[in-house]
Amino acid sequence: MNKEEIISKINSVLAEEFEKDESEMVPEADLLETLELDSLDIVDMVVFIEQTFGVVVKGADFKGIKTFQDFYDFLDRRVNNL
Amino acid sequence: MSDWKGKTRGGSFGYQFFIYLIRFGGLRAAYAFLSLVVVYFIPFAFKATCSSWFYWRKIHKRSWCNSVKMLFVHYYRFGQIIIDKIAALSGYEKRFEYDFVNYEKFLEVLDGDTGVVMIGAHFGNWEIGGQFFGKYAKKINVVMFDAEYQKIKDKLEGVMGEKPYNVIPVNEDELSHVFLIKEALDRKEYVCFQGDRFVNEKHLLSEVFMGREANFPAGPFQIASRFKVPTVFYFSEKESAYKYSFRFFMADPVKRTKETKPEQLLLRQYVKVLESRLAEHPEQWFNFFKFWK
Repeated sequence: MNKEEIISKINSVLAEEFEKDESEMVPEADLLETLELDSLDIVDMVVFIEQTFGVVVKGADFKGIKTFQDFYDFLDRRVNNL
Repeated sequence: MSDWKGKTRGGSFGYQFFIYLIRFGGLRAAYAFLSLVVVYFIPFAFKATCSSWFYWRKIHKRSWCNSVKMLFVHYYRFGQIIIDKIAALSGYEKRFEYDFVNYEKFLEVLDGDTGVVMIGAHFGNWEIGGQFFGKYAKKINVVMFDAEYQKIKDKLEGVMGEKPYNVIPVNEDELSHVFLIKEALDRKEYVCFQGDRFVNEKHLLSEVFMGREANFPAGPFQIASRFKVPTVFYFSEKESAYKYSFRFFMADPVKRTKETKPEQLLLRQYVKVLESRLAEHPEQWFNFFKFWK
């Protein structure tokens, strides 16, 4: 799966799951603030990542993720073993 | 709305005092002194007394006279439970007799190939069971609100040493506990929640409980159903002065339906089991705040 496909997949699922407009999901936007995620939403997010991309997410991984761009980069690295 | 603020009443002096009383006078002396404490608490813990009164009058529909009696019984049992917990954690666990119900099935689940979510309640004396998990205790992680954890840690660990299980403190401002829970389940460990208290009012599930609508925290039920791990409802009940029974109920797997989310289906199972236990030991319900809507 290339990076564009990953970004497209993430945005469409996040928009549906968290009832947000895809236009809000710009690379420099803050991930947690934009999606208004709290701890239980993170549970859904972790399950979504594991089921969709087969990637196991740990707390340490998530600490470095602030923006959508960080999130895309993280998944790209993990999905494509970069 | 919940009146519970994530903190537990009581100070370390009280715990220390009861430890000395148990050590030098025995459990009977501690129970006897407790009668005086109960008389103090009824007027001076006014909010708790009101909630206990509501519980007996409106939930159990007891008469006025019986409710007065049960008010004393309720506080007295609560005090006994705390004394027993202190005694058991201070090395007097052999003073009690223990009975286990569904224990073989429970161990089969613990020995399985996945993590396990265990959901208890502020009913009975769940903490007295810690030392009976033996080799499993190292894999037990109890999820606790940070404020409550810090207070219990300060009060109890100073006088009774470290607990036999790990604690995952929940701070609603941070997300780290979600990953700690997830990682514990990934390591095939056991994560224990209390399914009857919440501080975050954003994530609640509502269900009819004991004939009235009540709110429950969504977290334990959502985590168990999303991560698709076996769920066990666990209660430890005081059967007589020196006897406890540990009861384990394996939850049926839940699947999302068109009408109902899986966490709601899991909560329904929990409520049903909890109601059946409360029917046997109504005086062991220890949520002394406005629980029902």
